[in-house]
Amino acid sequence: MTLALASLLIPLATALLLLFLRSRAGAWVIIASLLSLIVAGLALAEVVAHGTQTLAIGGWDTPLGIRFELNLLSALLLTFTALVHLLVAVYAERSRHSQTRDTDYWPLSCLLHGSLAALWLSRDLFNWYVTLELLGLVAVAMIIISGPKAYGPALRYLLLSLAASLCYLLGVALLYGRYGVLDIDLLATMIDANHTTRLALLLMTLGLMLKAALWPLHLWLPAAHASAPTAVSALLSALVVKGPLFILWMLWSRMAPVEVAQPAGLLFALAGIVALLAGGWAALRTPFLKTLVAYSTVAQLGYALLALGLLLRWQQTELSAALWLFVLAHGLAKVSMFLAAGEMQATLGSKRVSSLKGATQTMPIAMFAFAVAGGSLIGLPPSGGFVAKWVLLQPLLADPVHWPWALGVLLGTLASAAYVFRVVALAFDRADPNPPNYNPDAFAQWLALLPALVVWGMALYSEPLILWLTEVNR
Amino acid sequence: MSSTLIFLCAGSVLWLMGLHGLARLHHPIRRIMAINIMGSGTFMVMIALANRGEHSDPVLHALVVTGLVVAVSATAFALRLAVAISAHKSGKQQAPEPNE
Amino acid sequence: MITSWSSLLPLLIVLSSLVPGLLIFTLREDQNRLRVLLNMTGVLLKLALVGLMLWGVDRGLEFRFAVPFLPGGGLVLQGDALSLQFVSLSSVLWLATTIYAIGYLEDSPLRSRFFGYFSLCVSATVGVALAGNLVTFLLFYELLTLTTFPLVVHRGTPQALRAGRVYLTYTLGGGALLLMGVALLHSLTGSPDFVTGGYLQPMLEAHSTSLIVAFALMIAGLGVKAALLPLHGWLPQAMIAPAPVSALLHAVAVVKAGAFGIVRVVYDVYGVEPVQALGLNVPLLALTAATIIYGSLKALQQQELKKRLAYSTISQVSYITMGVALMGPIAGVGALAHLVHQGLMKVTLFYCAGIFAETLGVHRIREMDGIGRRMPLTMAAFTLCALGMIGVPPTAGFISKWYLGLGALEAGWDIALLVLVISGLLNAAYFLPLIYRGWFARPPAEWPEERSLGTGRPGLGETHWMLLVPVLFTALLALLAGILAGTGFSPLSWSELIINREFNL
Repeated sequence: MTLALASLLIPLATALLLLFLRSRAGAWVIIASLLSLIVAGLALAEVVAHGTQTLAIGGWDTPLGIRFELNLLSALLLTFTALVHLLVAVYAERSRHSQTRDTDYWPLSCLLHGSLAALWLSRDLFNWYVTLELLGLVAVAMIIISGPKAYGPALRYLLLSLAASLCYLLGVALLYGRYGVLDIDLLATMIDANHTTRLALLLMTLGLMLKAALWPLHLWLPAAHASAPTAVSALLSALVVKGPLFILWMLWSRMAPVEVAQPAGLLFALAGIVALLAGGWAALRTPFLKTLVAYSTVAQLGYALLALGLLLRWQQTELSAALWLFVLAHGLAKVSMFLAAGEMQATLGSKRVSSLKGATQTMPIAMFAFAVAGGSLIGLPPSGGFVAKWVLLQPLLADPVHWPWALGVLLGTLASAAYVFRVVALAFDRADPNPPNYNPDAFAQWLALLPALVVWGMALYSEPLILWLTEVNR
Repeated sequence: MSSTLIFLCAGSVLWLMGLHGLARLHHPIRRIMAINIMGSGTFMVMIALANRGEHSDPVLHALVVTGLVVAVSATAFALRLAVAISAHKSGKQQAPEPNE
Repeated sequence: MITSWSSLLPLLIVLSSLVPGLLIFTLREDQNRLRVLLNMTGVLLKLALVGLMLWGVDRGLEFRFAVPFLPGGGLVLQGDALSLQFVSLSSVLWLATTIYAIGYLEDSPLRSRFFGYFSLCVSATVGVALAGNLVTFLLFYELLTLTTFPLVVHRGTPQALRAGRVYLTYTLGGGALLLMGVALLHSLTGSPDFVTGGYLQPMLEAHSTSLIVAFALMIAGLGVKAALLPLHGWLPQAMIAPAPVSALLHAVAVVKAGAFGIVRVVYDVYGVEPVQALGLNVPLLALTAATIIYGSLKALQQQELKKRLAYSTISQVSYITMGVALMGPIAGVGALAHLVHQGLMKVTLFYCAGIFAETLGVHRIREMDGIGRRMPLTMAAFTLCALGMIGVPPTAGFISKWYLGLGALEAGWDIALLVLVISGLLNAAYFLPLIYRGWFARPPAEWPEERSLGTGRPGLGETHWMLLVPVLFTALLALLAGILAGTGFSPLSWSELIINREFNL
């Protein structure tokens, strides 16, 4: 547990430090995220060896105190967060086009890292509210780094995020008023399916879905993610939307009474299928590259939503593994995709997808990164996305009654293949290539490729990953 | 008990009014105010719930205080952003751009 | 120690082209020698390793490489008799095609990218061949799609891109269907190793619906690459690719991977008896028969040489599937032998078409008049393999068709024999005019677009030696496969070995 706390406190302390110390911010953040990654990795090893650990903060026990819990999933997510932060920090420091030099990006990204780490460890409804609010404010502050054109989407994101938090908070208040506790495991033992519970769950769910940009509450996401600086888009897509998803999953899979969860699961699963198709369709139609990548986030979150819905519907805990594999694979792939897209967009001098003509020649590594990351989003073997989809498909296919859901997954796969290869095929156009405005930066392109290679490497560890994540719920 | 109920209802009505305002209004300042009304409604519900038992519940009071701190800072941030937007817009009106 | 090298050998065979391929990507365009060196090292190393494996299997050694991957289905590469047949074919043809491609692409741009993907493509093909279970097969099958796409669009022209998009639409769609089928079977039994006679017999009673659906999904997924009707639409369009790519796609990599997959699914996953018990062989047979006739009829209508060869491929590859669908041992021998024979003959025909186009600018059939006098060696190879395609004795094509015909009679499907005969007649109708024009028609005063690739004189200098040598090599192999069919090392006798194990004869 000490290690996990260190992984949380290192970026937090760095964020405070950087408020006063402005020089060499990039180097400090890289060192801090690397340290955080190392201790998170050690924490993961510790959990694998010794099992779940809990900490009552300040020595106050529940129900009065706040409880931190470090289980396999939390440790994995801590490691994942630190890894993504490290990769993005290196890019932000080294790339000419990152738009983040000498800005407030550095303390903010550390704060983001710290608040997410706290979110992964918390098991307390109100503590989650605080981390969510922090996450939202930091995310908005990071979006406006890219200048006045982002102010509009940022304000809209901020207001929606605040409204969502208040929605969630009202739900928390109702639950507390009814049961008198905030700890999720205590609540789980007391909760029953009455009107207060239903209303509270509805309010909390709406708030969290809005924050996680789950269909149909996703409309703020494409503008906000596409207008942010490249490094920030990567962090937002890979990490920020996963925080509320984590809480949503915790609420429904650990706390909600079964008789409420089962009908809700159907709605979640249907929303997931629609998200896959609608997000994929929007990504296929948009003329702008970063918007395409942002819509792909909406679509990919549909897989997570589908897994969550079916998990609740059938009460099959194995589907948790699918959900979290999707989150990990999508996060890494999306970092790669946003970095590659941002780098290509800046070098080729246009935000349009059509400017990528001939990009396999002008920026081969970035384009390759985009394609490899896209392969994982499609779910081509042997990538992390494939493993996730495989785990999701197993219970779907085992019983002929469930086959219609598998059809939804198939259509989602085809949609994602269509928007990924829309870009890739264009990049092979040699007849009329778009000449770059700057000399392409090889190092930044390799950085974009790295997370994509990691997500394909995930497949090699898929067996332990699946086993760990399946155990999380037991 | 009945005063608790009145406060509960009033809080819920405020919350709904705030939500309605957020959905219907367009001016940034108005929307920020709508959010604050929503926040006040939430806090009112929480204060009312704190009074539900024999003794008033200190945990909910603590939560409200925390919530107020968060709400104040978020409002400050949103206002700053709204000012920046209007400054940017008025700057633009002096030198209009075709694609706005 | 013995066990460790023999378990690593399948992996090394895959890596022997993968590593050079990745290295080639990093080369600059002008590092020509190093690129050729890497290419040839990979080719020869792979041949040596495959030879070693053949020797080992002959000695009764087991080659199995496994790492954990998914629960219930690891990543397994193994060399059994069936995979060795496909691996040997692809390694030998890779050798020939590499030499041909080096000559063909001399001085053209983006060669590092081309040869990089070319090597990756062969790695994926070999992976498909050596895959020891369905999950591994699926993995390499999808990789094959990804690595061939850059080759199809290599020229980067609008037509090439259009063909590439069509290719991707078909193959990724097929890949998704195959994924569903494999996942469905996996949810029932996991993915154990391929085993002769299949492993689904115990599930037959309880899960017959699932098994039928999975079979349909997998055949549809594999049928895209094997160009089964109505999933063949990508193949004629993909002809826009450079000639070595067409040769590779048609003879070895893509089309064969589909056909090989069908063989695997029928023989080593389902098993012959369960397929018959589920009544799945009849629709498959009908589909192949329709494809054979359709491909031949369409080939007859084509005026461009490469297009005619493309439709001929659609027809000829379905012979393999038909042999499998007939469910008898003799037809099975014919199918497996045809896998090799068709590969050798079709690769030669595509090489020849490429040579005609590159040396003389001949693309259309009516431009072939008298080409045999200008390029007698190439035309001789073309003639030999075209006759083989028709099935004239003693060519390789005759052998496989003979076995297929006997198999049809043995299995009691006389109508299949009729299909074979009609197709043979149609084959003759679309190949014989080419042979006639090539040898007996009067050559034009001037060729459409003659380039000085060799000395310009008929004989060994009729074109660039790197183009000519592979043609002669593969034509010779096709001839030997027919003449020496009765001996122990021929593709035919190897096929008999596989089938004997499969049917427990």
